[in-house]
Amino acid sequence: MPRFLLVLLVSAALPAAADECYSVDAAGGSVSFELGQAGSPFRGAFRRFGGELCIVQSQVARIDVWLEPASVETGLPEIDAALKEKEFFDVGGHPRIAFASESVQARGDRQLARGVLDIKGKRRNAEVPFRMGESGGKPVVSGSFTLDRLDYGIGSGEWADTRWLGAEVKIDFSATLSRR
Amino acid sequence: MNLRNSTESYGIIAQTFHWLVALLVLAQLGIGLYAANLPVSVARLRWLSHHKSLGLAILALVLLRLGWRALNPPPELARSMPRWERLAALATHRLFYLLLILAPLCGWLYASASGLSVNWFGMFKVPDLVSKDRELAALFKALHIGLVALLASLVALHVAAALRHELVLRDGVMRRMLPWKPPSGD
Repeated sequence: MPRFLLVLLVSAALPAAADECYSVDAAGGSVSFELGQAGSPFRGAFRRFGGELCIVQSQVARIDVWLEPASVETGLPEIDAALKEKEFFDVGGHPRIAFASESVQARGDRQLARGVLDIKGKRRNAEVPFRMGESGGKPVVSGSFTLDRLDYGIGSGEWADTRWLGAEVKIDFSATLSRR
Repeated sequence: MNLRNSTESYGIIAQTFHWLVALLVLAQLGIGLYAANLPVSVARLRWLSHHKSLGLAILALVLLRLGWRALNPPPELARSMPRWERLAALATHRLFYLLLILAPLCGWLYASASGLSVNWFGMFKVPDLVSKDRELAALFKALHIGLVALLASLVALHVAAALRHELVLRDGVMRRMLPWKPPSGD
C-alpha cells in the first residue's frame, strides 16, 4: 500500500482535528496558594473557580479561567474575612480574578501559557506553565507559578511591608476538564 | 552567694532561672492578651510571632531549669511550717512546672494546627507538631487559654504566699529566692 494512503487511513482513525473546548471543573480540583507569614509558609485555597480550555489540532490553543476570591479559605475565619476586604482582594469591587491566554507554547509534555492576569483591575502579563494529564478518563490540567502580590495591590497599606507578609505567592492548580 | 543551692538558700543559677522565667512569663501574658485582642493587622502578626518565639524560649528554659533542679535539690522549707503548708508548697511547685510546660506546648500545637507555623525570632523554622486542622486548632486554643488562666492564678497564689512568708510569718522562706537579703523587720 502506498505510504500516503496509510497516512490517510491513520489520520481518519484519530479524533477530528476541529476545536474542542472543555470546561474547567472546580469539583475535585484545587487552586491553592502559599506565601510567607512571619518567616513561615502560610497556605490557603479558593473553592470557586472555572473557565474554558480549547484544543486545536491536538494542541492547547486557548485558556480562559477565573476564580472568585470570595471563596478563599485558610482555615482561619478571621483571616478569610480580612482577605475579602479592600486591602486584599476587595471582593465587593472585584468579584473575579481572571487569566486569559494570548499564546500557548508546547515544550514536550510541559506547556507555557502567556497571557494577562487580571486581579483587582490590575492587568499584568503573566506566564503560567502547566501540563496536561489524565484522571478517570478525563483530561486534567495542572501547574504552578509564582506572582508578586504587590504587582496586583494584594495587601495594600501597612500590608505592603513584606517583612511580615511575603511578597512572593506560589499558586498551585489542578482541575479536571469536561467536554463542552 | 553560691552557684549551687545551699540548705538555706537558692544558688545563683536556680535564682536566675526563677527570675528570668518569672519576667518572661509576665511579659508573655501581657503580649498574648494584647495581641489576641488586636484586629487582623501587621501589629497582630508581629506580636503573635514574638509571643510564639518567646513561648518556645520559656519552654526550653523551663526544661533546662527542671534539669538543674534534678541535679541540685532546692533548699529545705522552714521547719516552722506545718505539714499541710509543706504539702501545699510542693503541690503548687509541681503544678507550676506542669503548667509551664503544657501552656507553651499547647500554644505550639495551636499554632501548628492553625497553619501558622513558628519561625523562632526570624532565625530558624520550628517544626509543626501536628498538621493543619481546624477542629484541633479550636481544641488547642481552648486548652492554651485554660492552662494560661490556671498559670496566672497560680502566679497570684505564689506571690501571695511568698509575701505572707516575708511579711506575716517572717520565716525567711521568700528570702531564699532573693539575690540580696534585705534587712529583716525584726
